[in-house]
Amino acid sequence: MDTAIKESKDTYLSELNQPIKGVSLWKDAWRRLKKNKMAMFGLVVVIIYAILSITAPILPIYSYKYQVIEHQYLPPSLTKKAGELMIEREETLLLAMAEKMGRNELNDQEREKLSELKARTATETRKISGKVVKVHDRRYILGTDSLGRDLLARIIYGGQVSIAIGVIGTITSVFIGIIIGALAGYLGGRVDYIITRIIDVMYGLPYMMLVIILMALFGRNILNLFFALAIVSWLTVARVVRGQIISLKNSEFVEAARSIGSSTGRIVFRHLVPNTLGVIVVFSTLSIPSFIMLESFLSFLGLGVQAPFASWGSLVSDGVEGMNLYPWRLFFPAIVMVVFLFAMNFLGDGLRDALDPKSKNKL
Amino acid sequence: MTKFIIRRFIGLFPTLFVIITMSFFIVRIAPGGPFDREKRLPPEILRNIEKKYHLDEPLLKQYGRYLLDILRGDLGPSFAYPDHDVNFFIFNSLPKSMILGSIALGIAVVIGVGVGMISSVRQNTWVDYTAMSFAVIGITVPLFVVGPVLMFFFALKLDWLPTSGWITGQHGWVTIIMPVITLSFPYFAYNARLSRASILEVLRSDYVRTARAKGLREIVIMFKHVLKGALLPVVSYLGPAFAGIITGSVVVERIFRVPGLGQFFVQAAFNRDYTLLMGTVIVYSVILIIMNFFVDIIYGFLDPRISYS
Repeated sequence: MDTAIKESKDTYLSELNQPIKGVSLWKDAWRRLKKNKMAMFGLVVVIIYAILSITAPILPIYSYKYQVIEHQYLPPSLTKKAGELMIEREETLLLAMAEKMGRNELNDQEREKLSELKARTATETRKISGKVVKVHDRRYILGTDSLGRDLLARIIYGGQVSIAIGVIGTITSVFIGIIIGALAGYLGGRVDYIITRIIDVMYGLPYMMLVIILMALFGRNILNLFFALAIVSWLTVARVVRGQIISLKNSEFVEAARSIGSSTGRIVFRHLVPNTLGVIVVFSTLSIPSFIMLESFLSFLGLGVQAPFASWGSLVSDGVEGMNLYPWRLFFPAIVMVVFLFAMNFLGDGLRDALDPKSKNKL
Repeated sequence: MTKFIIRRFIGLFPTLFVIITMSFFIVRIAPGGPFDREKRLPPEILRNIEKKYHLDEPLLKQYGRYLLDILRGDLGPSFAYPDHDVNFFIFNSLPKSMILGSIALGIAVVIGVGVGMISSVRQNTWVDYTAMSFAVIGITVPLFVVGPVLMFFFALKLDWLPTSGWITGQHGWVTIIMPVITLSFPYFAYNARLSRASILEVLRSDYVRTARAKGLREIVIMFKHVLKGALLPVVSYLGPAFAGIITGSVVVERIFRVPGLGQFFVQAAFNRDYTLLMGTVIVYSVILIIMNFFVDIIYGFLDPRISYS
């Protein structure tokens, strides 16, 4: 008897959940998204970035923290080895000095210095992570930074940190936001009032300031950064979820679920929250770039990720120093970051249009 | 209306109280103090310093003292710069940040709405496309990329503008051009997109059709009928824009070496200068709260549908 009731309840429930319709909504959205060229471009770029960051440890790139002090500020070059660039630089320097002293050519002493450098760069070896390598044969496609570290590796690993912060921050804030928003929306009454008040007051705060204070006081490491970003960023999700749930909670399918005795938790998290998923997906895609921007903002001020780790923000910040002489240190990280932000925004906008055709002409 | 304003005004104080309380306790429960040095201070000296700043008292008593001080308009002495109190720093630097921020916001609103208007009137022409691509760039590219890139081209390569400085310095007003452009860019972009979208919507509405049917000139329709309705989203975006400009100014001041409040804020964060840190946060919050209050009132004036009961 009991099992019979349970079974019929389950079939009844699954009919109400209507997984078929859910799938068709997403299929429909995917069909619309595929038509949006910008969004598809964004999606491809995001996938490439994700693959690069995940596979960073097995990519054939140098270590992001190994320093070759002699290689500092080497310009980007596809073809030349580090040694050749060093020789070129030394030669221009010596020539400039000779010119200052009124000569057109190098004297013997200077030539000897150059050939010495040539000989040394051709043979010198160093042990890098267990392997003996000819250190001056390294090629820096995107140049090096102030400590002779490979900029390409730093950008890829920095991207890993930045994207991780974007994704984890979004997941945490969505998680907190869903729970709080769902409770406020469904329970209503006093709980709703208190939660809404708290959200309103927190909205009034200059929350970036709060994050800066937290980072300054509790130490500047990545964990605190996650924590600080997460506790200030759930507000929007909570608001959105609350609004959606209030508008849905008197609908017939909830009534039906209640009438067959579903618990509050089940109604909220099995029936109501999945209905807000579209909004949450759009929010998440658009909040990943904003998290990345927040993190970079902090790192730019020196309050975010600390060396030897890098993030796009800290790389741009490093690049600002001496950008007149070594512009690649500013431009490469900036371009890489901006391309990703663009891709994320296109994808987010595309998803929003795909999931909600009504908002087509809106922001 | 008056009743609404008064009620909203009274409502400001709990928010302010929460901010002061939160920043006070967050700062106090944090590990490490402002007097931690590489070389440890002798305990008796540390005790004397703590006594001077009343840090040896129970937390609640300190909190009460701090609240009373704030009521009297005194934000206390700076811990990192013993000769100065917090009010000194704020009075010196806040006007600079205010000038920068208000010019940036003014430009963002006026030019943003202007561009939005033009691209909505010339919808789907090259003007529209250029303006909107520009707006997308403004929304996506972060301030701390825009600032250095501008500086690289206009100060270092072309040498048209000074890299840094302030109005009172030797270069005068030209120093403010790049900081203002950098700071206003994202909000200009946002306003342009917002106003374009809302003007397009209003242009399709019945009352605009009626106005056209009456034979009014397009320019009159635009400024007298469309703009008033279309400005609503822009006004409601002003609140977040204020907050953004305040935080953005921290970065912009850093890039262009503007001696504003943001510089002191970051410095205080590095120095763990409790009182300066709290002082700046309170000042920023007060500005933000007051601005939001005005935004609410302006919104009420613009939108006759809102009732204040």
